[in-house]
Amino acid sequence: MNRILARTALILLAAIIGLYLLLPVLVVVPMSLSSSSFLTFPPKELSLRWYQQLLDDPSWGRSAFASLKVALLSATVSVILGTLAALALVRGRFPFRNAVTAVLLAPLIVPYVIVGLAVYIAFLNLGLTETTLGFVLVHTCLGVPYVMINVSTGLVSVDRRLEMASMNLGAGPVSTFFRITLPLILPSVLAGALFAFITSWDEVVTAIFLSGPDMTTMPVKMWSGIRVQVDPAVAAVSSLSLLVIISTFLLMGAVKMIRKMIDRRASLTMNEGI
Amino acid sequence: MLALSLSACGGAGTASDEKSLTVTMWGGQAQSAHVASYFTPWAAESGVTIKEDSPTDYAKIETQVNAGKVNWGVVEVEPNFANTACEKGLLEKLPQRVIDAAKAAGVPEAQMGECAIPNLQYTFSIAYNTEVFADKHPTNWAEFFDTKTFPGKRGFWKYATGGLFEAALLADGVPADKLYPLDLPRAFAKLDTIKKDIVWYDTGDQQTQLVASGEAPLVQAWNGRITKAAAEGQAVANDYGQNLISYDQVVIPKGYPNAELAADWMVWFLGNGQAQADDAVASGYGPVSSDAIGLVPEADRKDLAGSEEVSKDSAGLIDYSYWAKNYDSVTEELNNWIAK
Amino acid sequence: MSVAAGTRAALRQPAPPSFASKIKNFLRIDGWGALVLPLLVFLILVFILPLFVMLQKSFTDPTFGWQNYTAIFAQSVYVKVLGNTFLTAAIVTAVTLLLAFPYAYLMTLATPKWRTVMLVLVLVPFWTSILVRSFALVLLLRDTGVLNSLAQDAGLIAEPVTIIRTMSGVVIGMVQVALPFAVLPIYATMRTIDRRLLQAAEGLGDRPSGAFLRIFVPLSLPGVAAAILLTFVQALGYYITPALLGGPKNTMIGELIVQQVSTVLRFGFAAALATMLLVTTFLLIGLASKYFDLQKHLMGQS
Repeated sequence: MNRILARTALILLAAIIGLYLLLPVLVVVPMSLSSSSFLTFPPKELSLRWYQQLLDDPSWGRSAFASLKVALLSATVSVILGTLAALALVRGRFPFRNAVTAVLLAPLIVPYVIVGLAVYIAFLNLGLTETTLGFVLVHTCLGVPYVMINVSTGLVSVDRRLEMASMNLGAGPVSTFFRITLPLILPSVLAGALFAFITSWDEVVTAIFLSGPDMTTMPVKMWSGIRVQVDPAVAAVSSLSLLVIISTFLLMGAVKMIRKMIDRRASLTMNEGI
Repeated sequence: MLALSLSACGGAGTASDEKSLTVTMWGGQAQSAHVASYFTPWAAESGVTIKEDSPTDYAKIETQVNAGKVNWGVVEVEPNFANTACEKGLLEKLPQRVIDAAKAAGVPEAQMGECAIPNLQYTFSIAYNTEVFADKHPTNWAEFFDTKTFPGKRGFWKYATGGLFEAALLADGVPADKLYPLDLPRAFAKLDTIKKDIVWYDTGDQQTQLVASGEAPLVQAWNGRITKAAAEGQAVANDYGQNLISYDQVVIPKGYPNAELAADWMVWFLGNGQAQADDAVASGYGPVSSDAIGLVPEADRKDLAGSEEVSKDSAGLIDYSYWAKNYDSVTEELNNWIAK
Repeated sequence: MSVAAGTRAALRQPAPPSFASKIKNFLRIDGWGALVLPLLVFLILVFILPLFVMLQKSFTDPTFGWQNYTAIFAQSVYVKVLGNTFLTAAIVTAVTLLLAFPYAYLMTLATPKWRTVMLVLVLVPFWTSILVRSFALVLLLRDTGVLNSLAQDAGLIAEPVTIIRTMSGVVIGMVQVALPFAVLPIYATMRTIDRRLLQAAEGLGDRPSGAFLRIFVPLSLPGVAAAILLTFVQALGYYITPALLGGPKNTMIGELIVQQVSTVLRFGFAAALATMLLVTTFLLIGLASKYFDLQKHLMGQS
């Protein structure tokens, strides 16, 4: 009885949290459909004006592509470097442990504007501003602690006996890692990768320093008018990226369902065969 | 005599192609309007490629100049920055031909800098919600500060040069021609009287949101933003009583490889009232050359800084030479006062 | 090879070590430990070096000495803002945790389909620009906003409830940003917990709530520790959300640092503020890990 009560309360709480997460986002969609050049809710008049503007202005597409490229690359590098470091932190032995940990966590703590300026001074002379490489280097720094912390957390709860068993059965450490450890920590790795991706995708402060006419990421494009006016096209961009992510999830769900149906059909045919 | 030749600027900048000019402004729709009205036509005439960047970032200017790698050609800045940066040697001094062009165009002397020409003007004026104050609304700063007669929150820009000190002193009875140097203790004392009613804004959008929603039915706002919002059917209006005129300037960072080209554009811009008038209509910011305002259609004119209608009620120009000297210290005092 | 190395080290008899061997022992790095090197080298080259050049400006810009640091303490506002930054980050962390823990727990109980829905809900806000989201929150929450008007029309409240420009506004805005960073690590840990342990405890006569508190909660601590660290440290650097949703009392250090860098151009002073933030944060983390063993939960060290 108590348990049912607790579950109900839990579900209620989760529903409220879900609403809280969703509401501001849902408001953005009608905002983007407003014909006014001011962000308003509810919109007085509906129009696709801002979506039209996105289509007419190729620089939005260019910056979206630049952002995607930087985010994917920096998430990939973050995952590799961060997972290795997490293995070292959880299992390894190395000197100056506290100092090293501090270095690894520092990118989380240093205010981004300081990072941006510092890196700008260095990169300007190296010719790395307005380049994909420059962005990826900086965004990897910012994203890698997320991978490291998530993977460390996952590694702590891995049952080492499974790995030992694998080693005892003759697998080398590398193949043990890929066959046993990695599948166990995969959710943590994915969470870390996602954080690294999002950190890069949404990052504006250091990106403002690195951007220029040759390369501008989308958040910088969204931000550039902030002093005067938030461009409602920004709401349109947000709604579009929302559409992309939700349809991706739906697609994944659909694929899973279809696969399940096929599996069921396959097993049915097999049964019939018997 | 102030004009040092541009060739004096050494600076081994990055080798950029001969015929391109990088324009950096604050961004958004305003920048699109500026570029379309007075950069693209010039570029087409003179066969130059315009590269756009945004937003302006002073830290980037300083870093580029110190590193000797200047990528920005024409940059829109605030006059107090133009002033300070010019003294620090971060900007190219205006060549004589630009100064001459400005004189010929009748640009107000006070809006010129040693390194900078103005590119637009606007006012800090009283924006009010027309539903909340349907019958009567504040028409000067004293009334703006009178929360008994006109109850409701007041919006101010959280920015030292945002006009709040000037407004407070005018409200306290300081004559418009005796504003500078600002009597800061007096200004803070006046601001103290309405401190609990002050709502701060950081961006241009917030000001229109505040007035239009009625959350702060009175805001010291940029006239152009309010004009545009009113045109969109929002319940807002400007009152130009004791308006404070402000302006933005454009500068050339020191050592920009195509500085000559940037100066060419400045000369063209100052002499082309029509381009400025087009921009005024598109952006809502007033033009700077004296002939330009006459080229703006009558209906748009009354809400543009620089027009007769707006100037006659003005309390004058924000004195950015004062702000160049005092911006840092007043910013600190303002931070302190806000946190108190 | 290295797994065995650890065991061997543990088995080794404690012989009275010489000074040299102590140093040698201290500097030893094993196969696993070496895996930290790629990231370490990367961060030192790309991050620490430029940062060092920048932070040393706090001692050299505009002139050599401590003046940037004495300037911080000369104006009470900077200390106050620094304190407010940590307070806000702590409140945000606490609220985030209070919401994230039950949410993540429910995710472990939900059917796969609902789990995906819950996951998508947590991730969706990520995909709208933080700027637009903050504006949306303002439109929803302000005195004349959607929620207040709805509640007033429904007769729930007589006067509008002021949320924007208060600490609640900041917390509402920031928790929304922080939730995914807390939910995911907690969920990742919780899903590895063997539920049979709970059943066993209950079988042995423990009440369900007791079993939950004694078995489940401690086992989920690594995820909780990660969530605390991520949320807290991230919250320290926010300034967009507090600037848009907070009042003048809610200014955070990030906003002041941006102001110093981008409008006042006092790089040295900004560097000093950043150094203060950095040092204080590390001190706090160090202090916290004395009471709450972050290292152990995060890195498996004791």
